[in-house]
Amino acid sequence: MKIREENRNGTVICFLEGEININNSPELRKTFDGIIGRNEKKVIVDFSAVSYIDSSGLATLIEMFQRLKKIGGRMRFSNMEQKIKNVFEITKLHKLFEIFDTQEGALKDF
Amino acid sequence: MDISEKLPSRPDAIPAFVQEFLNKLKTLQLTNDELFDIKLCLNEALINAMKHGHQFDPRLFVEVRAQVKDDRLIIEVKDQGQGFDLKKFPNPTDTANLYKYSGRGVFLIKKLMDEVEHFDCGRGIKMVKFLKNMGGKT
Repeated sequence: MKIREENRNGTVICFLEGEININNSPELRKTFDGIIGRNEKKVIVDFSAVSYIDSSGLATLIEMFQRLKKIGGRMRFSNMEQKIKNVFEITKLHKLFEIFDTQEGALKDF
Repeated sequence: MDISEKLPSRPDAIPAFVQEFLNKLKTLQLTNDELFDIKLCLNEALINAMKHGHQFDPRLFVEVRAQVKDDRLIIEVKDQGQGFDLKKFPNPTDTANLYKYSGRGVFLIKKLMDEVEHFDCGRGIKMVKFLKNMGGKT
């Protein structure tokens, strides 16, 4: 998995590319450690280049969501392809996370 | 198509194994949705076997068997652990469980596969996927 960060007017946009699975979840956690360590409060995770996610990846995102919440931060997701979105819907995690079709939508009123 | 393989209980062995497994299914001309579901369910079954059955002890091997029978793909994943009682698993979609980190693997398998059963006191899981282009109802 490749991870790239961009800062847009105080919002960190985290672009993920490839698969989010049990083997690379620690890498994702490390990226979030850096974001939370910098006390960033607004984070958008862009899924446009994510082709796969397993339950370990979901667990990592829940963990990061909770850690951000503890410091008064928020996390939104954008640009998920339908198969990925299905995984969130099946597990009802779409109720927990704010999921937007586009990055513009995620940035609006954030 | 018959597959019978063993792999050590190391998570880093999973991606190459699953990719090779999917390569063997190429002749079946499955849809991308079917391939995604099979990949995710095989991954989750392997992780469960390695984690809960073997505590990621690389000396212990997980067995995978698969075959196509009529309009369905049948995959069995079996570990050498103590087995477990599936009734003890809480529903991860209950509001109280949404924040929990674990417990979604078997749930996803049950949702994405057409038939799922456990055997050998919970040491094994049998997953069946009806294949659309072979006339399988979904």
